[in-house]
Amino acid sequence: MTDNDFVIRTEGLTKLYGKQRGILDINLDIERGEVFGYLGPNGAGKTTTIRTLLHFIFPSRGRASILGLDIARKSLETRRRIGYLPGELEVYSNLTGAELLEFLSHLRGGVDWQYVQELAGRFDYDLSQRIKTLSHGNRQKVGLIQAFMNKPELLILDEPTIGLDPLMQQEFYRLIGEAKAEGRTVFLSSHIMPEVERVCDRVGIIREGRLIAVEDIDVLKERAIRRLEIHFAGSVSPEQFGNIAGVRDVQVQDNILTCTVAGEIDTLIKTAAQYHVVNLISHEPSMEEIFLAYYNQEDDRAA
Amino acid sequence: MLRNIILKTLRDRRRSLLFWGLGLVALAVIMVSFFPVIRDAPFISDYLESFPEEFLALFAGEVTDYTSPEGYLNGELFFLMYPLLMLIFSIGFGSGAIAGEEERGTLDLLLSNPLKRWHLVLDKFIAMLICTLLLTFVFWAALAAGGAIIDMGLNLARLAAVCFSGFLLAITFGSIALAVGCARGKHGLSIGVGGALGVYAYMLNALAPLIAWLKPFQVASPFYYYIDANPLKNGLDPVHAAILIGLTVIFLGIAIITFERRDLAV
Repeated sequence: MTDNDFVIRTEGLTKLYGKQRGILDINLDIERGEVFGYLGPNGAGKTTTIRTLLHFIFPSRGRASILGLDIARKSLETRRRIGYLPGELEVYSNLTGAELLEFLSHLRGGVDWQYVQELAGRFDYDLSQRIKTLSHGNRQKVGLIQAFMNKPELLILDEPTIGLDPLMQQEFYRLIGEAKAEGRTVFLSSHIMPEVERVCDRVGIIREGRLIAVEDIDVLKERAIRRLEIHFAGSVSPEQFGNIAGVRDVQVQDNILTCTVAGEIDTLIKTAAQYHVVNLISHEPSMEEIFLAYYNQEDDRAA
Repeated sequence: MLRNIILKTLRDRRRSLLFWGLGLVALAVIMVSFFPVIRDAPFISDYLESFPEEFLALFAGEVTDYTSPEGYLNGELFFLMYPLLMLIFSIGFGSGAIAGEEERGTLDLLLSNPLKRWHLVLDKFIAMLICTLLLTFVFWAALAAGGAIIDMGLNLARLAAVCFSGFLLAITFGSIALAVGCARGKHGLSIGVGGALGVYAYMLNALAPLIAWLKPFQVASPFYYYIDANPLKNGLDPVHAAILIGLTVIFLGIAIITFERRDLAV
């Protein structure tokens, strides 16, 4: 396999910052048309990886290529073909949205202004407002519009949905879907599991600067741990639930059963259905729980 | 005005330029309109001579023929006031150009575009040249107009020479501030270094003629190349002008090289 087969390829990419944590030996192979989620808690190294790919910071070791071009030697050409949304977006807030996008479009050699207006319409974004008067969510919209407006081959989006209200998040997911349908590639970072589950084909999990797993989203979902809370009308016995495969930490108190489930929840639901169920609450797993799921299963395999 | 970095930078500065221009015009008009009082009072020269030489040297240079238009303008404007204001403007510009954007966080979005880092620095530098030159011209025009009204009999080409010499001094320090900002990404540091060097250079040039051991070091001060050849009287000294231009090019080079080679701050 050569660089040309991948939209993003990193080999042993490392960035060390004195005593601060950077990223260590990141190996990524991202294929054309993929939506790749880069999942990890804040401070894990997501932004460091992305800023290295854009050549804002230079790797201590290792190398990377984008669209078959070495990021250090061909940085200009790669940036020409990338749409980028910074993690902590700062724009020229004395400009209006239209002025900012006009300026950026000149730097990129022009864009289809009709598409800009279409994007603004879809995000319900007022281009004539001075950016400094906008809420955080509306600033994020202008960031997304500029990333998408040239229809780039590769979108690199650092925490794209922060500050967006749920309706706008849906619109964003639709845009990702359209980009994928057109054969473009998306690399997005997130610290929210459900978001990654929702839009990504593959996920890389980064923790403390190391890439600990790269999985298809289906595999990740199977491994995902959910915390469930089932409220019953009468009493139930914990033993009956504790014996179900994948179910752990069963506790019953005041007719309320709590447990964690790894993978499928079908058997658990069917068992519960034999009783009178009053309520069913599912908690999304936190990043820590996802990591724990990984480490526990690695241990299981070893044993 | 948003077609490229240079125009965008000029656009960002338009309000600041307007007020700087108005300030410089006011300064020129006030100073010139005061001249007839000096001209018609010959005892002023005697009065000035009663001051300690060191005191005058510090604020007005070597004061000779203070009642002539050239002597008056040199002492009152060109020795301290004009270069001081031009340096404040250009150091502010140079330090804000890269380090200012970096600290505000707008540099990431800017450089995510297909734009070479050296190109960005060069564009910002050119914008600084244009703005500083514009102020130089405004100051020259105000002095020329004021001088004409009160019949000062100024040689406009020589007046342009000293104004332009001040422009060269200003961009020398502006490019020092730009270089510090490019190398370290710190706005405040770059203003501080540029400003401190400006004060040292001024003091060195002003005091060296009076202190024997300091005299050999006077040529180390850019201020020496700005004013010592007395461009208002003698026209622009090509060697002195070339030295200021050379210094500017060197600091621009340092700015570009250091900025190309370092990590951008978040």
